[in-house]
Amino acid sequence: MFTYYLQLGIRSLRRNPILTLLMVIGIALGIAASMTTLTVMYLMGSDPIPWKSDKLFYVQLDNWGVDDAFYDDGRPPDQVTYRDAKALMEAGKADKQSAMFKLNLPVQPENAEIKPFQSLGRVAYSDFFGMFEPEFAFGGPWDRRQDAEHARVVVLGKDLNEKLFGGADSVGRTVRLSGTDYTIVGVLAEWNLRAKYYDLTNGAFNDPDEFFMPYTTGMDLRQRSTGNNSCFRSPGDGWDSYLDSDCVWQQFWVQLDSPERVAEYKGFLDSYVNEQKKLGRFERPLNNRLSDVNTWMADQRVVSRDVEVQTGLAFAFLAVCLVNTIGLLLAKFSRKAGEIGLRRALGASRRDVFAQYIIESGVVGLTGGVLGLLLTGLGLIGVRALYSQYKTVAQLDWTMVLLTVVLAIVAAIIAGLYPTWRACRVQPAAQLKI
Amino acid sequence: MEIRPIFSALMRSKVSMVLIGLQVALTLAIVCNALFIISQRLEQMNRPSGMNEADTFTFGSTGFGQGFDAFATQAADLALLRQMPGVAAAAPTNSMPLSGGGWSTGVSLQPQQKTPTTSTTIYIVDSHAIDAFDTQLVAGRAFKPEEIERKDFGDRLQPRVVIVSKALGDALFPNGDALGKEVYLGEGPPTATIVGVVDRLQQPWTNSDTIENAMLVPAFMPYGTSTRYLVRTEPGRRDEVMKEVEVKLAEANTGRIIGRMRSMEETRRNAYSQDRAMAIILGVVIVALLGITALGIVGMASFWVAQRTRQIGTRRALGATKADILRYFQTENFIITTFGLVLGAILAYGFSLWLMDRYQSPRLPWHYVPIGFLCLWALGQLAVLGPALRASRVPPAVATRAV
Amino acid sequence: MLKMTHLQKVYRTHLIETHALRDFSIHVREGEFVAVTGPSGSGKTTFLNIAGLLEEFTGGEFRLDGVDVAGLDDNARSKLRNEKIGFIFQSFNLIPDLNLFDNVDVPLRYRGFAAADRKKRIEESLSRVGLASRMKHYPSELSGGQQQRVAIARALAGSPRLLMADEPTGNLDSLMARGVMELLEEVNRQGTTIIMVTHDPELAARAQRNVHVIDGQVTDFEEAPKLRDPGAPARGAEAVAANG
Repeated sequence: MFTYYLQLGIRSLRRNPILTLLMVIGIALGIAASMTTLTVMYLMGSDPIPWKSDKLFYVQLDNWGVDDAFYDDGRPPDQVTYRDAKALMEAGKADKQSAMFKLNLPVQPENAEIKPFQSLGRVAYSDFFGMFEPEFAFGGPWDRRQDAEHARVVVLGKDLNEKLFGGADSVGRTVRLSGTDYTIVGVLAEWNLRAKYYDLTNGAFNDPDEFFMPYTTGMDLRQRSTGNNSCFRSPGDGWDSYLDSDCVWQQFWVQLDSPERVAEYKGFLDSYVNEQKKLGRFERPLNNRLSDVNTWMADQRVVSRDVEVQTGLAFAFLAVCLVNTIGLLLAKFSRKAGEIGLRRALGASRRDVFAQYIIESGVVGLTGGVLGLLLTGLGLIGVRALYSQYKTVAQLDWTMVLLTVVLAIVAAIIAGLYPTWRACRVQPAAQLKI
Repeated sequence: MEIRPIFSALMRSKVSMVLIGLQVALTLAIVCNALFIISQRLEQMNRPSGMNEADTFTFGSTGFGQGFDAFATQAADLALLRQMPGVAAAAPTNSMPLSGGGWSTGVSLQPQQKTPTTSTTIYIVDSHAIDAFDTQLVAGRAFKPEEIERKDFGDRLQPRVVIVSKALGDALFPNGDALGKEVYLGEGPPTATIVGVVDRLQQPWTNSDTIENAMLVPAFMPYGTSTRYLVRTEPGRRDEVMKEVEVKLAEANTGRIIGRMRSMEETRRNAYSQDRAMAIILGVVIVALLGITALGIVGMASFWVAQRTRQIGTRRALGATKADILRYFQTENFIITTFGLVLGAILAYGFSLWLMDRYQSPRLPWHYVPIGFLCLWALGQLAVLGPALRASRVPPAVATRAV
Repeated sequence: MLKMTHLQKVYRTHLIETHALRDFSIHVREGEFVAVTGPSGSGKTTFLNIAGLLEEFTGGEFRLDGVDVAGLDDNARSKLRNEKIGFIFQSFNLIPDLNLFDNVDVPLRYRGFAAADRKKRIEESLSRVGLASRMKHYPSELSGGQQQRVAIARALAGSPRLLMADEPTGNLDSLMARGVMELLEEVNRQGTTIIMVTHDPELAARAQRNVHVIDGQVTDFEEAPKLRDPGAPARGAEAVAANG
């Protein structure tokens, strides 16, 4: 029966091509608008590391001015000071931990044909790789011993390795950064991070880090980070007083493998801050935070307000398209009262009529969904053109493709329910009078 | 006009009325709020930065290798830039309006003030800055060359003289007499004297609450081995000079990288790309929405006309003129649209309240809704015109045709 | 009242010409009750449409209540229709979404009467057909005979000089048909000219005069009025006598 109804539906839709086209375009536009925005929102906000996002925690300590909170709503600073990062690293109370910050360094390639260029990288401890688990194409991370030794080693990102060595295995070779040679110990494979969640201070969708270097080695450069530096009082003159100041400019991540460990670490942070209070620091009330990956992404509004508003509007738009489709289906089906009456008189049950018209709605939905998919693709191209930084999140994946088609069919069937119900109420004989 | 009988006829077939009404309501609510968001964005995007954006560009220089002398390089670069043909003015600066990154600090009127009077951005510049920004000096004077202090990066800036934007001057001294007054940067002495006031100069951050507060501080202070320059060219020669500068400065010193070469126009585009994108996306949604609603009205009205052909013929037979029939459908559309619009007005304010609550956006100004009414009335009348004209052409003889 | 002389109606498509009426002449006098009969396709519906100003004709002369119809534009014809003619259709053609009051109101609205006048006329004409108590009901709540009575009330409400009835009992059973017929006769007795198109000879027999249309021409033109009821005040007959 299903194929029969399918044939009937398709034939009926082809009989009123303009009305059908209107319905299909309506569904397709609504679906495309909502799926485009939903894709962006879903990819922006989706868990970047689902298998351990509840074990990775971002550390915030409130060392800000006694009279002025870092955020107006009282949340603690979004980064930590060098001295606190150093103290937490030395204490080593977490299962894994790393202080980190980003650094812009000039790269002087061996190959004289490539002009020197600036490269944005990250200084971090070796635990960084254990915590965030990027895949290596060649070699691997440096180890804790090399952290301690201030080793002159680097891990290159895929792009930088491509640029410098044509993508070859460069492990063991050296790269010259700002006048110093560093030995390459590893090269990352493509690291498809939608949001650069481990450092959200300058936007989540900026370019990926091109190299990684041991924190201890990076600090020896006596160079400030390329990210945000915030101070609530002047740090005083010179590098050493800057390190000693209450300026925040580093990120601190820990991995805690069980809820007990989380509680323990929280206790440790509180006692650390209380110790510091005795030294005259941390004048504000105790306000430490441990946020797991998803909490931190929500806190830092990785999904921007604009994207949320756009998604809301897109769904309202879909609602309009659905109402539109209900109207058009109603128009279409009620023109067929005669046919329905005849079918009923010839023995079709209400269920048969229902099935026939719901399937016809479904066909409209399917067609609308396929067209909507194309339009969604166009929409995402548009989003990529408008938001250059959203390249990683304006992409269709299979989940979204499937969701698009299913959403379109479901939407069309929902839209078809009322008109179909009305069609079913046609009495067998009523329309047969001459 | 015969509103009552049309209305009571409509009440007999509520579904169609509800469907079109709902569509109109949602359309009104979305269009009003989307238009309001667009207008806010456009307003933001149209704020002048206070500097000459047409003829200016910026770039950075980063030295590498041991023994790189940032101060000497900066002095040599500036000398080279200033004698290049086509260059009208050049100055070092740590940042500039619209660039998205820079320095900010609190400004106080008293030493050890608990909370600063206001906050400002700091542009660390030399005596050519006003000329390079091409902003208007409205009071006082520019910096003198001897006032430019040489500072190591990481040292405290303790300027003795500063130039402020008029907005910052007024924020500190509401009487408008900022010139010659003393202020405190950060905490504690020494104080800085305001020696000049410029008409307007924005902060680097387009979303700042204090975007008009800017301060020029006279110092040579490279950021490590990096320096940024702002160059103003003679009108119309910017692109040509940009290429020239890139080549000449790279040749002059091979121990550094010339990069981030960007015109101020490009900087502005980048600064407002999100707002622009939002405005465009909402614009597309509005157009699509109006299109869908219009098509919906056309579809439903065509259906009604087809369904009521006999009724129309009867009316014609009973004495209705073509104009009467046309007016019937127009009135019917007007009633349905109005019904939807009243609902839509409530929805529009509801939407606005939600945006206010969730995103701290301002309240939807009242005039958007009545303007939306007019637009959707017009849209409805336009959409129904085709089907209504078709209805008016139904011949009266239809009434005597056998069923 | 209505006079057609050598009237012609030709339907043209790009392939064929069909002569629906050829050299058609008829004269209906004020107060007459004329039945127009003829087989299907004879042209009686075309006659009805032209007589009721629903269609234009292609040649000849047509005067309605002294007005030369030939030169009138669509608006003027609508106005004339509205003022002078009341219609009764085979399938009633009541507007299903309007209650009886509003249905009768339809031609009065187009006439431009004031609200109070309209209300009075609607109430009067509905009580004339015996349905005053059901003013707020909708057509679907009535029987066929009642619906046709409403249609008659609607046709009469504007006090037309001429009533055009198109198979008024065609969709009714015989009992209801009789009631409707009696009502029409009553209306005629009160002075309204009636032209009734029908294919039912029995019904036609009840009219004062029968006009038979075959192949677009009047073949049977009875001058002498048949009076079924000699006792009735035969205004039609008087008019005929006076005229001819």
